[in-house]
Amino acid sequence: MVPLENYLVLSAILFALGVYGVLSRRNAVLVLMSVELMLNAVSLNFVAFAAHLDPDRATGIVFAVFVIAVAAAEVGLALAIVIRLFRNRSSANVDEAATLRW
Amino acid sequence: MAEHAWILAAVPAIAFLALAALGRRLPRQGDFLAVLAAASGFGLFFAVLASFLGRGEGAWPVLNAIEWTAIGDFRLNMGIAVDQITIVMLAVVTTVAFMVNVFSVGYMKGEPRYWWYFAVLQLFVASMLLLVLADNLLLLYVAWELVGLSSFLLIGHYWERRSAVEAAKKAFITTRVGDVGLLIGIILLWKATGTFNILDIIHAVEAGEVGGTGLFVSVMFIFLGAMGKSAQLPFHVWLPDAMEGPTPVSALIHAATMVVAGVYLVARLLPVFEAAGDALLVVTAVGLITALFSGVVAFAQTDIKKVLAYSTVSQLGFMFVALGAGVVSAGMFHLFTHAFFKALLFLGAGSVILGAHHRQEVGQLGGLWRRMPVTAAAFLVGSLALAGLFPLAGFWSKDEILHAVEGHRGALVFALISLASIMTAFYTTRLFILTFLGKPRDAEAGHARETGASMTGPLVFLAVLSVFAGFVVYGGVGEALGFPGGFGEFVYLHHPETFHIDWGLAGVSTALFVIGVFGAGWLYRGGRLDRAAALTAWQPKLYEMTRRKFYFDDLYQFLIDRVVLGFSYVVSWFDRFAVNDTGVDGSATLTGYAGFLLKHLQTGRVPNYALAIAAGVAALILVALAAGG
Repeated sequence: MVPLENYLVLSAILFALGVYGVLSRRNAVLVLMSVELMLNAVSLNFVAFAAHLDPDRATGIVFAVFVIAVAAAEVGLALAIVIRLFRNRSSANVDEAATLRW
Repeated sequence: MAEHAWILAAVPAIAFLALAALGRRLPRQGDFLAVLAAASGFGLFFAVLASFLGRGEGAWPVLNAIEWTAIGDFRLNMGIAVDQITIVMLAVVTTVAFMVNVFSVGYMKGEPRYWWYFAVLQLFVASMLLLVLADNLLLLYVAWELVGLSSFLLIGHYWERRSAVEAAKKAFITTRVGDVGLLIGIILLWKATGTFNILDIIHAVEAGEVGGTGLFVSVMFIFLGAMGKSAQLPFHVWLPDAMEGPTPVSALIHAATMVVAGVYLVARLLPVFEAAGDALLVVTAVGLITALFSGVVAFAQTDIKKVLAYSTVSQLGFMFVALGAGVVSAGMFHLFTHAFFKALLFLGAGSVILGAHHRQEVGQLGGLWRRMPVTAAAFLVGSLALAGLFPLAGFWSKDEILHAVEGHRGALVFALISLASIMTAFYTTRLFILTFLGKPRDAEAGHARETGASMTGPLVFLAVLSVFAGFVVYGGVGEALGFPGGFGEFVYLHHPETFHIDWGLAGVSTALFVIGVFGAGWLYRGGRLDRAAALTAWQPKLYEMTRRKFYFDDLYQFLIDRVVLGFSYVVSWFDRFAVNDTGVDGSATLTGYAGFLLKHLQTGRVPNYALAIAAGVAALILVALAAGG
């Protein structure tokens, strides 16, 4: 059996990649993809902990399924916003969408 | 019936509500309701009196109270207490109220807000009766303020006239100064005795549970309220101005009933005053100064109502002198007789004013004797009663006061009150001569006509009372009427006192009357003004000073303009700059400016927010690691 630490290190690397992507990318679609990466890192954590600490019950796995479902809904909503943004401004660059302030 | 004497107050209260709600729509604007209420009040008084006397002296005072509210162990009752003093007050209020209501039907005919006038008049009567019936000081205070309110409304009845508005305001505010004192006094007495009930307070004081300086201070505060209501120096200024109200109001409120509320209060609490050190000496002093001062000022007043107003102030001073001598019967007796002849004089003045087409300056009147014989005769009776002619009502009560002062206050006070008596006779005679004798000095006065029956009727009735009311001082007369004896055997503090006429004192009293009347008669012989004018020219400054009422109004005006307004200017400056500009507006400006500076943190760029969130999370992790070791 693969030790727990390996999963956790993989999850941390995925999460860090996601954070980097969110902070560095300017394209809204890529930002969204990075957010998905972070969510998947969390899901991986859930599943790994569930398999190692409480293999008889599926609590962590059910949580992971929920996270995937919520992520799908979130992407659906966010992509709709991105499309509206692109229609309005002919660009999906998040830096340019800065009118919502004082 | 005596235990249900509250009905006396309830009847006019209902009449007030009915008139206030419906008065305008009723035929004759509902004046018959007012007269009906006043007449039934007059009738019901006799039912109360018969029941009261029927119980016999052992059952006095008649009490009836219900629980008002309970706070913890403290119970506050609301109720009535009918004793001898209350009976005297009830007699005065119901009788004069009845006469004034009848008189007003004629006098106020065609005046604006006729229905409202009668409505407020009923409110006043209800409040005044509540005041004299109340068994505790708190209820008394409520009624005290209610009579003040009705007085304010009636003085300002002609509110289109600026002077009436000013006078109403002045009366309200001046008496309010005293009323604050009264409230403080009531609270102090409550703190000392733990009750508002008047009888309980008197018992506590007589048992010696309270006393010393504390009692003296609370009694002085209460006396402040009495001085305000009864227009004693230096609070007298509102009463002459209150003459702006309709004349029947002056007769009822500002001569016979409301202004004697202060006298009533002192008489009611006289045992407390007695126990409070030198309190009675203060009462005598205030009364004496007021009696002398107003007597002098009345010399130089030219408005018929103002003369009567100063006369009222002066007579109230007489009552306080009697109470200050500790003789409650003399004070209450003068209150009783004064109510009748002063109401008569005021209603007579009202009749003159109406008959002479709203001329009320004595300089414009004169010679009305022929044109208004009934009014003139009634006014003459009232004047003689006020001046103290044997055997009219005023003679007996003034005699009682002189007797009380002689027995309890010594020669100096006796001499001064005698001087005030001479003044009374003098200004009364002057007023009568200038109004009714000689020749008319104005065309309108020359065309004066006698007023109608609804006005002359009450005049005649009150004139009869002014002649005969004084005889109740005799034991035989009192017994014939069903009382246990004369006035002094009915109203007393410690022991009933049988009246015996003191011929020496009666001689002195008559001499005072003669000096005053002949002095004025010589000065204004036959209604001519030449000697008075010569006297004025001889001492113009003194005359001016008297005419200007010794500058009391000017002094108060100065105090208000300089001290009160100056202080309020400082207060308003503080309010504007410290409270409003710095405190309220300042905090708002500060918040706005802080927002103006901080808003630049908001860039609207998503990556900035994301970075801030990430930095925050990283910082939290670092903190957690550091804390966890």
